[in-house]
Amino acid sequence: MARRLVWVPPTLFGLLLLVFTVSHIIPADPARVIAGENAPAEQVEALRQRFGLDRPLPEQFLRYAMDVATGSLGVSLYTQRPVLDDLLARLPATFELALYAILISILAGVPLGVVAALRRNGWIDQVIRVVTVTGLAIAAFWLAILLQLLFSMKLDLLPVQGRSAGWGPEPITGFYTIDALLRGDFETLGDSLRYLALPTLTLAIPATATIVRFTRAGVLNVMSSNAVFYQAAMGIPRTVVIWKYILRSALIGTLTQIGLVFGNLLAGAVVVETVFAWPGLGLFAYNSILQSDYNAIMGFTLFTGAVFIGVNLLVDIAQSLLDPRDR
Amino acid sequence: MDTQHGTGRRAVLAGGTALALAGMSREAQAARTRFVTANNNPYDILDPHQVFDIGRLAIRLNMYDALTHWVDNPPKLQFWLVNAPTISDDGKTYTFKLKPGIKFHDGSPLTAADVVYSMERILALKKGAYGLFKDSVSPGSTKALDPQTVQFTLDQPYAVFTAILSELWVVNTKVVKSHEKDGDWGAAWLSGHEAGSGSYRLRRFDPAIGFQAERFAEHFEGWANNPRPVDEADFRVAIETATRVLGVIKGEFNTTDGFLPAEQLQRMRQSGTVKFVEAESLRTFYFIINNAKAPLDDLNMRKALCYAFDYDGFIDNILGGTVVRNAGIIPNPMWGAPKNMKGYTYDLDRAKHHLSEVKGVRPLQIGALAGYPQSEQASQMLQAGCGKIGLDVRIVTEPYTTIAPKLNDADRAHDLIPLWRSAYFADPHNWTGYMFNSSNIGAGNSSFYKNPKVDELTDKALLLTDQEQRRPLYEEVSHLLVEDAAGLFINNTKYFGPFTKNVKHVRFCPIGDAQDIRWIEMEA
Repeated sequence: MARRLVWVPPTLFGLLLLVFTVSHIIPADPARVIAGENAPAEQVEALRQRFGLDRPLPEQFLRYAMDVATGSLGVSLYTQRPVLDDLLARLPATFELALYAILISILAGVPLGVVAALRRNGWIDQVIRVVTVTGLAIAAFWLAILLQLLFSMKLDLLPVQGRSAGWGPEPITGFYTIDALLRGDFETLGDSLRYLALPTLTLAIPATATIVRFTRAGVLNVMSSNAVFYQAAMGIPRTVVIWKYILRSALIGTLTQIGLVFGNLLAGAVVVETVFAWPGLGLFAYNSILQSDYNAIMGFTLFTGAVFIGVNLLVDIAQSLLDPRDR
Repeated sequence: MDTQHGTGRRAVLAGGTALALAGMSREAQAARTRFVTANNNPYDILDPHQVFDIGRLAIRLNMYDALTHWVDNPPKLQFWLVNAPTISDDGKTYTFKLKPGIKFHDGSPLTAADVVYSMERILALKKGAYGLFKDSVSPGSTKALDPQTVQFTLDQPYAVFTAILSELWVVNTKVVKSHEKDGDWGAAWLSGHEAGSGSYRLRRFDPAIGFQAERFAEHFEGWANNPRPVDEADFRVAIETATRVLGVIKGEFNTTDGFLPAEQLQRMRQSGTVKFVEAESLRTFYFIINNAKAPLDDLNMRKALCYAFDYDGFIDNILGGTVVRNAGIIPNPMWGAPKNMKGYTYDLDRAKHHLSEVKGVRPLQIGALAGYPQSEQASQMLQAGCGKIGLDVRIVTEPYTTIAPKLNDADRAHDLIPLWRSAYFADPHNWTGYMFNSSNIGAGNSSFYKNPKVDELTDKALLLTDQEQRRPLYEEVSHLLVEDAAGLFINNTKYFGPFTKNVKHVRFCPIGDAQDIRWIEMEA
């Protein structure tokens, strides 16, 4: 574990260097975009100087890296607000979305994967396979619009967009559902769940499909192992073999996948949040890219990279708890 | 009037407002009207002096007041915070008296010193509308003669001065100064807060969601002319067009932008839940032609392009008649636009003839705007026309952030760029002098067009204060630009503002696109 932790700073530095290079290679000029199309050259140049965009790229990178080293992600070129503040303000919205999505994916994906493996090549397995392949193949953008049309417009069950009709409950954690629950405000809780439903479903469907596929493969792999033959031969009841021994071993691979899926959910949120006007990190990234706000783009990437690394560290810990060989 | 983040975000109920709402009966609260706008741009900066765009105009229009104000269509300029000025004989000194009893949202009086501070702030920040004032107002030249009198001494006579004063949004000096940090004129603070006197005052701001404003009952203009005003206005961000459209149909939003694609308009019409405010706007669509780059520096080449575009096909078939032909750059409803100007037609024989006169013909490149279907459709239309006369045209689709830096560099700029020109202020100068006077190359003149006669006429028009004297000058300029094929002028946009049926009175003005909420009447 300590060895993994040692690799975190260089990984983040590599990520920072990569994102800085990519975002600065694009021939965009944030100073021009901020100043507007009618701005005189003098106004654009003044902004360029103010933001240090006139300095050589290595110097710009060094300055930014030093900022990051001191715990700052810089200031947005566009809004003049600290990028970290903006990211932290939006984090609960995206995390709430991603957590519900991953929860649904695990609750649905693991049992379906086990059932598909136990009924290998049977009709249940075939149905699950068709559904999961479809889930993986559908573009999130298209799926989101389909869900809006069906559940919001046709059936009139759920809202089209947003996180709340108003401005959400008074924040404690920033997670609307948890805050509503802590305040005992069940009306707001219900309201928040209604707004969560469609974006969560859009994210959860492909994630569930991935987890089903990996669980199924993991279970099949363990089922064909000598250990399982031995346990069966020892007369251990089949349900115990399946749910205690097979599932535990099979879940190790699935757990790794859950960590990766969670990263994909954060990345996928860019599209889903844009379609559902969900005020999270994804929408922030989308706007920052449109405005060529270098600091915001780099801040977002670094931030989500750190979150991704953190989640995968947790997965590693969980894995070592499940698998003694990893300790 | 407070912060946007963390726990502070929810502490945004201004003290008085919170108490007032708390004391309000359930019936009274239920009777309050709430109007929700869906915007396709983020409301990420509240500072009226840092941005100058249509996407965030609702912030400036509703929470701040300027010296002048545009209303109706065609736009009329009203003296808003001030009465009509006294102008010196040389046309350089404007003296304004503030209207009595104007208050900021914190209850303090708005004085001439606030106007002076606001002007100095714009000139110092060099952002937002700075480009409008930089050639006519020098730092330190604006004076408060007394608390009610402000005087501007211009560097030279400037005919559009009262028109551009609609962008001099007055901020509360005392409040902003108290938040200045490292000589930033309070820029960091004001980007997330409000210090205005407008018809609505800020209640909540979350840059991820938008902002909420409540009616300012003590606004100097009063509310007698609106029996059912909007009490609470939510301005929310919804980037995706389909989401905004579905939101209006379902009633989650009361309105959204009025320049939607034809198929989305059709969808809303069919829903039966949306009504439209339709008006010809002041937003021309055209191709920027890079006049500085061979062979586009040849008039024959530019004329060949203008004859190769199928105007009727584009307007009637592709856009379904949702726009109108505009043969010149000045929008048809604007004074200074010549009446019945014919302009170019789709005529491939003439296009071929002009092309045959051009030496050094090479394949041309169009830089279409990613995410703007009309921009790409017009590019394809021109490409098809050019293909028929044997001219090879390539389309490169790029986001505006990539195209923008090239707009002021003739060598890097695309040969052609389809673009809209909106009304920042309602004066023909907005479409002529700004865009085609050679002194503005690098700052609005993205065609790199140079014509001494156009320079002379547009310069002269700026020195005159009488509209009737200026009109023929702009009409002549408009004709010259068409004769020179300085750009490929296509259409003027029509505004189709979608509103839910409980919205009763919308006062549309092309400058602001009906985002001025104070005029809207609404059923509870």
